[in-house]
Amino acid sequence: MKASDLLIATAVGAPLAMLLACLSPAIRKRMPTLLGFAPIPALAAALLADGTPLMFGNAQFEFSFAMDKPGAILLTVAAILWIAAGAYATTWLRNTDNAGGLVVCWLMTLTGCVGVFLAADIVGFYFLLAVLSVGASGLVLQGGTLKALRASAVYLGVALLAEAFLLAGLVMLALVMPHGSLLIRDAAAAISTSPWRDLTLGLLVVGLGIKAGLVPLHFWMPLAYDAAPIPASAVMSGAVVKASALALIRFLPFDAALPDFGLPLAAIGFFGAFYGVAIGVTQSEPKVVLAYSSVSQMGFLVAVIGMGLAVGNADAALAASFYAAHHLLAKGALFLAVGVVATTGRHRLWLVLLPAAVLALGIGGLPLTGGALAKLAVKPVLGDGLAGLLADLSAIGTTMLMFHFLSRLAASTASIPSTSAPVGFALPWLLMFVAAIAVPWKSYPLTGIGIGSYAFQPEILWAASWPILIGIVPMLVLWRWGRHLPQMPEGDLMTVGERAMRKVITWGYGLERAEGLLRRWPVATLMLLALAVFLGRMLIDWR
Amino acid sequence: MSPSLSAQNLTTLGGLLLVLAILVPFAGMLIGFVFGGGNAQRVALATLAAGLAIAIAIANALAQSGKAVVYILGGWMPPLGVALRADGLSVVMLLTVAVVICGIGVYARADFGTPSGVKEARAPLIFWLLLLAVWGSLNLVFVSGDLFTLYVALELLTFAAVPLVSLDGRTETVRSALRYLLYALLGSVLYLLGAVLLYGAYGTLDIPLLAARVRPEPAAWAALALMIAGLLAKTALFPLHLWLPPAHAGAPAAASAVLSGLVIKGSWFLAMRLWFDVFADVVTLPAAQTLAALGAAAILVGNVVALRQTRLKLLIAYSTVAQIGYLFLMFPLATGLATAGLDSAMAVNGGMLQAISHATAKAAMFMAAGLVYTTLGHDRVADLRGVASALPMTVLAFALAGASLIGLPPSGGFLAKWLLISVAITTAQWWWALVMLVGGLLTSVYVFIVVVRTLAPAHVGWNPKTTVPRYQQAAVLALALCSFLLGAAVLCPVDVTQIGRTVSRNTVLP
Repeated sequence: MKASDLLIATAVGAPLAMLLACLSPAIRKRMPTLLGFAPIPALAAALLADGTPLMFGNAQFEFSFAMDKPGAILLTVAAILWIAAGAYATTWLRNTDNAGGLVVCWLMTLTGCVGVFLAADIVGFYFLLAVLSVGASGLVLQGGTLKALRASAVYLGVALLAEAFLLAGLVMLALVMPHGSLLIRDAAAAISTSPWRDLTLGLLVVGLGIKAGLVPLHFWMPLAYDAAPIPASAVMSGAVVKASALALIRFLPFDAALPDFGLPLAAIGFFGAFYGVAIGVTQSEPKVVLAYSSVSQMGFLVAVIGMGLAVGNADAALAASFYAAHHLLAKGALFLAVGVVATTGRHRLWLVLLPAAVLALGIGGLPLTGGALAKLAVKPVLGDGLAGLLADLSAIGTTMLMFHFLSRLAASTASIPSTSAPVGFALPWLLMFVAAIAVPWKSYPLTGIGIGSYAFQPEILWAASWPILIGIVPMLVLWRWGRHLPQMPEGDLMTVGERAMRKVITWGYGLERAEGLLRRWPVATLMLLALAVFLGRMLIDWR
Repeated sequence: MSPSLSAQNLTTLGGLLLVLAILVPFAGMLIGFVFGGGNAQRVALATLAAGLAIAIAIANALAQSGKAVVYILGGWMPPLGVALRADGLSVVMLLTVAVVICGIGVYARADFGTPSGVKEARAPLIFWLLLLAVWGSLNLVFVSGDLFTLYVALELLTFAAVPLVSLDGRTETVRSALRYLLYALLGSVLYLLGAVLLYGAYGTLDIPLLAARVRPEPAAWAALALMIAGLLAKTALFPLHLWLPPAHAGAPAAASAVLSGLVIKGSWFLAMRLWFDVFADVVTLPAAQTLAALGAAAILVGNVVALRQTRLKLLIAYSTVAQIGYLFLMFPLATGLATAGLDSAMAVNGGMLQAISHATAKAAMFMAAGLVYTTLGHDRVADLRGVASALPMTVLAFALAGASLIGLPPSGGFLAKWLLISVAITTAQWWWALVMLVGGLLTSVYVFIVVVRTLAPAHVGWNPKTTVPRYQQAAVLALALCSFLLGAAVLCPVDVTQIGRTVSRNTVLP
């Protein structure tokens, strides 16, 4: 086995082995202290592994894992986030007596997350995505409240719905793959030439779009990120949700221009980008505001992917990966910041709030931050037309939302002014802050999108600055009159969904009664005879 | 007689194993009956081990030779004599049943041990004897080579299964048992009627001979319709399921596992055998669509009604109603492939995988429900708090079995779904794919509800009513794992189910 194979195998194998070790209660008890170490092999693999795939199985069926460029970019930053959040979780779990549930779900989600980033065949990808979804819904459940139970149920339900679409799409894809190959790298080409191209693409895009939190099926996001424990929200909003973006990047055929798919996808994405901001500013809970920012950012990311697909821009894959990587770091860090602030008194607040402000405004594209680089990376994909304008507008909206977040964050300090956050919270947060600033700068030239010094040119600085400056205006308006905004329920459209759900339950009652009728003797006996006759009739008719 | 037919009428190496597979369980039953009391259990457990070994030996013989295993009783050629045949489909079912029965046997030691100080107790004695009888009759269903022996096997199966429902002797369970018996008898009558028609028209009941002789004509149509309808009644395909929920939910857990996991598969297997191997030239796509339409209705109604149940065992019983539906989706898919001149193996494999994964998963689920009942003293779904801390392995098993029913990878349910959806798309019958996907979502709802309810912490000071032995939990988990890891069947180097199929699969004209 080559070194590269070994790296990839341990990246997935280490968390999986730890997960299986949890079957022993004694090891499970010690596991919380090890959470931060589980993703280290993944980080090593992301930095060192080369492109050769790791295969295992036999001639009938082979699982394969491989590192491609988008995967390497995202796995690097995801591993950093998992390490920091894992360390944070270790401290967090010290105060709880029942750590087992969270540890198991954590490792399951980590296995799924690393696995999905590395999976190179369709079946393995679907399998690990299911592991990821089930694990993540378990993480939400660990909030332990009734709200968490509801959020977890919604999360799992939506995830399985998405996976149903995905399964149909993947099966259609597998049927047209050349030589029965199941490798994802053959997928894009196979889709382009498939007789069911439109349906396959539609199913894949809908399935992955739901998992990416596209409006109107985004409501699971604010519910889940609010109800989950802080470290879980950090990895979910950062790393877990990127799995679907990465899958879109890998499956969609960027070689051929497909405006029929790309443009609607971009339109839905942009709509989500603004919708997230609009609902986000009505929220008061910092975690919920962040969640709506995720709805908005994922919308924007999908819009970038959609535009790339529409014009057949092969660079879109890398640009979108880079954007996703920055969002992963920044959003993960901000969720940790919420936890740090909640345990910090007023006296030391600025120590957290200032770096948090840099990261938050970075998401809006603050010059010299990683966010500015991310915006720069996707600019060629969006172009200067309507999409470029919408991107600027969305930057304005994001800035406004982030100011709102910061003000809500400042109001959520610990009640005793002199408290300071435990080191076990502060250090992971610091690590994430440094990573969110440094990693994009370090990796920007490596990805080959452009060179870093370009970002210092005055016109580029100005292009990144004006949306921020404009964003201040609505923010001031919001602070002055924001009280008058209608309060949207958290998970907005979910309330509609729940009403529909109650309808279904009533139908269920009707169905139950009808079923009771069918189980009466006279009815059942008649049915049996009628069926025999009907079957006979069906056998005759055809020829 | 064509040369291919005569080749099917030679006893092959290992053919005697088929006789053993039938004889050993029945012999065990008789010996257990003679010695009685606690000995019945000992004999039964020894027989289980022997039977498992025989099933494995048969599978080995099949894999080695690459041909069906055949035994001609007394050297008399059909149609005069009786042949036992085990092709790939039969062997896979033989193995599954052996594994599940062994799992149930281990589990039942705790529930049906003869109490110390008592010489003989009715329920344990009857349970062990009937367990062997069910097994013997199922094996007979799988290896019989002619339709009359199959009729006898089906009757044996019904008469062995019905008393399992009312082992506790309560009026309520006796009522459900009678309900089951009466409806199953109606089914038998229809089946027998069909068999008689066939004998009148073609002068044989031997499967390969019959398959060569049947033509699409009124006698065949009527016979097939009657036989299939009768078998559907015994399988409890919606809307012919009136007997299933009370019978399966009212029986003791180990018996429910036998009934829900295995017994219904007997009549389903026979329906499949008739459809694909005997009447391959007679069946039509519209008739197959009718079966699948009932299956689809079963999936939707069964799952929704399962959701509304307040008792765990009833919930699982309705889940069986739904899962039976999946077993019938393969009919139009396989027929569709055959009509298009393609190999129907993919659809048949999908259906078989569904049956196997349901057999293992449902047995595990019912046994898990039994453990929950022992621990809590009730099985109200609304109040399962504390179960996860008292029975961690059982809850894990329930979740894994649930994942298989939902069709999450790497379970057998997933692989089955993948194959069936693939065929649905290839044969342009996408609506069956839709039904499967919706059914999976509905299933996930009740699995989630049950698992989450068990995770809730117990009331302070609550203690389990009875402590459950570890090996019972282990047996449940082992069966659930079988189902959950069945997706690994994709790695199987040869297409086992298709070995020695008696009828070439491309005979249906377009």
